[in-house]
Amino acid sequence: MTSQFDFILIDDSAFDLFIYEKLILKSGIGNSVRPFNSAQDALEYLTGEGDRLPKTVILLDLQMPGMNGFEFIDQFDLLPVSLKSQIKIYMLSSTIDTRDIEKAKASIHIIELLSKPLEIGTLKAILQD
Amino acid sequence: MSDSKIRILYIDDEEHNLQSFKASFRRQYDITTTISVVEAEEIMENQEFHVLLADQRMPGMTGVQFFEKIRSKFPESIRILITGHTDISAAIDAINKGEVFRFIDKPWDYTYVENAITHAYDIYKTRAELKQRNLDLQKAYEELDKFVYSASHDLRAPLMSVLGIVNLALMEDDVQSQNEYLDLIKQSVKKLDTFIINIIDYYKNARGVQAITEIDFNQLVNDVTEAIKFLPEFGKIDMVTKINQTGVFYSDAMKLRIIFNNLITNAVKFQDIKKESPFIKLTVDATPEHTKITFEDNGLGIKKDDIEKIFKMFYRAGATNSGSGIGLYIVHEAITKLQGSINVTSTAGEGSIFEINIPSVNK
Repeated sequence: MTSQFDFILIDDSAFDLFIYEKLILKSGIGNSVRPFNSAQDALEYLTGEGDRLPKTVILLDLQMPGMNGFEFIDQFDLLPVSLKSQIKIYMLSSTIDTRDIEKAKASIHIIELLSKPLEIGTLKAILQD
Repeated sequence: MSDSKIRILYIDDEEHNLQSFKASFRRQYDITTTISVVEAEEIMENQEFHVLLADQRMPGMTGVQFFEKIRSKFPESIRILITGHTDISAAIDAINKGEVFRFIDKPWDYTYVENAITHAYDIYKTRAELKQRNLDLQKAYEELDKFVYSASHDLRAPLMSVLGIVNLALMEDDVQSQNEYLDLIKQSVKKLDTFIINIIDYYKNARGVQAITEIDFNQLVNDVTEAIKFLPEFGKIDMVTKINQTGVFYSDAMKLRIIFNNLITNAVKFQDIKKESPFIKLTVDATPEHTKITFEDNGLGIKKDDIEKIFKMFYRAGATNSGSGIGLYIVHEAITKLQGSINVTSTAGEGSIFEINIPSVNK
């Protein structure tokens, strides 16, 4: 029996939101998927939900207009501990820039940097750990 | 008083020396004088001087000591020492500690002084130019760095989307949804192609040679809109063009094409599909001296916070699939190269007006 997760996707690309929502639901790993095309909107959603938020996995894009992935992490850091402890963040990006990779590694909130395209096998393996 | 004059500060405790210097060079240079080194420093706080002249023998502080004191704070000004007593240890100090550019012997000779000041100013100018070049280079380097970072992202992202779609399609048995995936792949490939075309435009605009020809705005606008009108995204937009051209206008057709193409495409891309009758009004008023172009639409409009940033490279206002963040940057660059100006007024939800003014290029 594999466990299921509630997902939040944050990506400015409507293609990628569509792709990963489908992929997560089809593979059976996701219980629910909530897509956001702006990091700002996602942040507002999290703040609004507060303690009602179930255990959630966030797949966070890096390069986005407005608030980018790292800026989202900076804001996330300021959220209450009870809320943060409900959330696991994975960065999902096509970046190959070493500075980005180092920065993602150094962040205490980013569990891992996953590269696009996301292979469902990889995601499953990571989440089952 | 003209700004192009060489600005000189002369410090000497003997008032009559200052007077005679002023009398000789007043017409040629912008001269400030003082008998006190303390006051000299205060003056320098408020005004920049190209050349500093100081007498060596002054009570309290010698010219060399003064130069040594102010050298690190005002490194740009070129220092000249005036001395009546040739004293070898003062000369050594002047060079080593005060980093003096020239000595002037008292009583001074008009031509000699003039020469020294001219040469000092040349050095001042060369250093200032070098400094500016270094700043420009640094800026260009930073831009290049940013360009490579963003361009590599924008080139890879659509490819990774395609791979993601392929992965998804492989999981699917239903043939009907395969078509949906193919359509997504098509859109993603198109997006990549648009980006590549934009990059090429940018390069042509930035590095290409200007090709000045007679501009026929009717022809130009026609060429550009023909290509856009048949795009499926064009939808039911009502495009009205009013071109009023009198006489011959010279400019770079390539750059104008980039401007028209990007602004019309933007108006199409960011149309408000909720509106009953979307429109683009294009007005061109061209005379042999000057052309004014306005693009007005009732599209999505631009948020207040975004208006200042839309011309920045890779800035994308809001989340959208079709924006690469480079179109308006190229427009801005092209207009700057044509020595024109662009002005935007926009209200989110209502529409935007881009007004462009371009002078004719004289052949």
